Amino acid sequence: MATETEYVDAGAAVDFRILSPGLAGSAPPVAKGVNYDRILNARDAEPHNWITYYGAYNGQRYSSLDQINTSNVKGLTPAWVFQCGSVGMHSGASTYSLEASPLVVDGIMYVTGFDGWIWALDAKTGQELWRYHRASPYDVRLCCGNVNRGCAVAHGLVFMTTLNAHVIALDATTGQLVWDQTYGDVRAGESATVAPLIVKDMVIVGSSGGEFGVRGHADAFKLETGERVWRCYMIPAPGEPGSETWPADGEAWARGGANCWTTPTFDPDLNLLYFNTGNPCPDFDGGVREGDNLFTNCVVAVDPDSGQIKGHYQYTPHDVWDYDSTMENILFEMDGRKCSGHFDKNGYFFVLDRTDCSLIRVVPFVDRITWGEIDASGKVTPRVFPDEEGVPVHFWPGPAGAKEWTHACYSPKTGLFYCPVQDVGATATRRRREFKESIPYWGAGVAVDTEDVSGYLSAIDPATGQERWRFRNQFPMTASVLATGGDLVFAGDPAGIYRAFNASSGDLLWDFNCGSGHHSSPSTYTVDGRQYIACPVGYGAWTEGFFPGALAAPGGSAIYAFALPE
Amino acid sequence: MAATADKTVIEGLIKQNGTTIGAVLGRGSVGVAEEGPDGKMHATVRIPMDELIFEPRVLVMPHGGDLELEIINDDNNSHCAVLPNNGDAKFIWLVNFSKGTASLNLDGPGYYWYGSRTGNDEGGGLTGTIVVGGEVPDEAKLDRPPQPRP
Repeated sequence: MATETEYVDAGAAVDFRILSPGLAGSAPPVAKGVNYDRILNARDAEPHNWITYYGAYNGQRYSSLDQINTSNVKGLTPAWVFQCGSVGMHSGASTYSLEASPLVVDGIMYVTGFDGWIWALDAKTGQELWRYHRASPYDVRLCCGNVNRGCAVAHGLVFMTTLNAHVIALDATTGQLVWDQTYGDVRAGESATVAPLIVKDMVIVGSSGGEFGVRGHADAFKLETGERVWRCYMIPAPGEPGSETWPADGEAWARGGANCWTTPTFDPDLNLLYFNTGNPCPDFDGGVREGDNLFTNCVVAVDPDSGQIKGHYQYTPHDVWDYDSTMENILFEMDGRKCSGHFDKNGYFFVLDRTDCSLIRVVPFVDRITWGEIDASGKVTPRVFPDEEGVPVHFWPGPAGAKEWTHACYSPKTGLFYCPVQDVGATATRRRREFKESIPYWGAGVAVDTEDVSGYLSAIDPATGQERWRFRNQFPMTASVLATGGDLVFAGDPAGIYRAFNASSGDLLWDFNCGSGHHSSPSTYTVDGRQYIACPVGYGAWTEGFFPGALAAPGGSAIYAFALPE
Repeated sequence: MAATADKTVIEGLIKQNGTTIGAVLGRGSVGVAEEGPDGKMHATVRIPMDELIFEPRVLVMPHGGDLELEIINDDNNSHCAVLPNNGDAKFIWLVNFSKGTASLNLDGPGYYWYGSRTGNDEGGGLTGTIVVGGEVPDEAKLDRPPQPRP
């Protein structure tokens, strides 16, 4: 005779984090006082912190901190290491990496990881204070890996985007969810990887999905409540300014791309956000979208109050090489002019007058450019591109560009830009295909070179466009660089080597093997008078695009904090 | 070109020590969570004796939101579950013949894996799927004409 099973009561499932012995559970309320005014003055008033994505609205990725300098950097050692892994199966299981820029507010670090992770760490010891892990659908469409580029902090909240295109606000002391807004359609192929930017009382984000034929957009939300303020589409609808650059018939515009998946820079005096837009779609098949395809591959100046487009400059009109211009536009002053500097995937360095987005100077910054030519006036002449169906075409730079999204920096002390360069070509073979939502819409088969590739760190004078010095590397340089008041430039490479250079001469002064490749945006800060360099490592993401020769590189993920011995 | 698998091979994919050592992931029964008057969805998954699977192997939530899950271990071995949840994964230890609950919050649409992380339960078959249906809110969708889907 069957008997009913007497079950043991297993209770209720618990938060997994309580099984982490080093987790404190909360952080001091340091973020409560972070507001727009503090971010405006971040570099001058509080150089000990790094409270916004680029360190400042101007995108310079420069810190005046000089405790670590050319005379002592050789003594730099790890002060602590925070390591992170994963449990179970997650989206992009083979492609994760750390790509964030760690923020630091008065001794507390806020940093995001792959797969919806965000941590608050003690910036002096590396102790984990709290964690939040957003569940990410396994099947979310990701062109370029399971990654996230960072967070924003203000008014006691921490903001991040999620792979499934939400923007969320967390309590900065506990990591608990405060609000959650969906701003993209995962069924359409949208996702989100961008680090948000706080401007006034808003949190600004942009969409990913440029390889899936979406219509790129930026969105603004009230930072306290999550209420939507505006959405700005980067592809004009029929009849709107710029729509004449798309075919009059059909719906190419509706699938046109122009995603802004890296953080904009901001000029508070001009009250303009400088968004950076991605490639048109389909990436390599221009025949279905004749015209310049505005506002793809542009810097787009947007009024943050209204979300209205006020100006633009297009770096690669009618792109058929996947030359996103999503990389930063760095704001700087030159001869009394308000300028912006931008290293484009297409291999050219552009200096613009940012008051009207007009061209001041354009010069090549990579040795091999075969796709076409841009003359001093900005006139673009395409020469090699996938045009004939089924015919392979090789060109330099490849679709990851002469510089990927990883950021350059600018030192007001030297007046030089420092750019991580990738000298990598690719072969594209046009294959026209029908558009279907959520299916990759490239219009070509692409293979990136695995041989005859290299990279360098270049120092470039924006006043002349001339290269002042170059550090040649065996591999493409695929990580953001950092300049400091210690006359140093820091740069990581795919093999895991982190290096410090004399910012004026380019002399190599220090290196350290982090054990995994660099594809993030390091920052610097001080706690109790000691300067640290915070460096996330962990290679992966779109490796097949920017350096397929590193597909099997060690993939462990960690955050190093380097400092001089006490 | 591969030959078509016969019935024995196919049936052996979802049992222990059949075609392979364990049960291949993603195959098997499908259940649907039921929505209660409180707006929360409810479902039960079980670990049957000696099968090393979650039953149903695929649990469908009609839309994103809260799921109250009952988990019953009918096996005469200990297992556990690391379950997807916004904020942090949920963990429950399940000794032989035990039952417990998990309160989960998940976004839709999309699907999530969960599993028993002890030993290699996950590879042996104790990896389940929670599928969340639905659409994103209208305000999140792209302003464009309806587009073709696969």
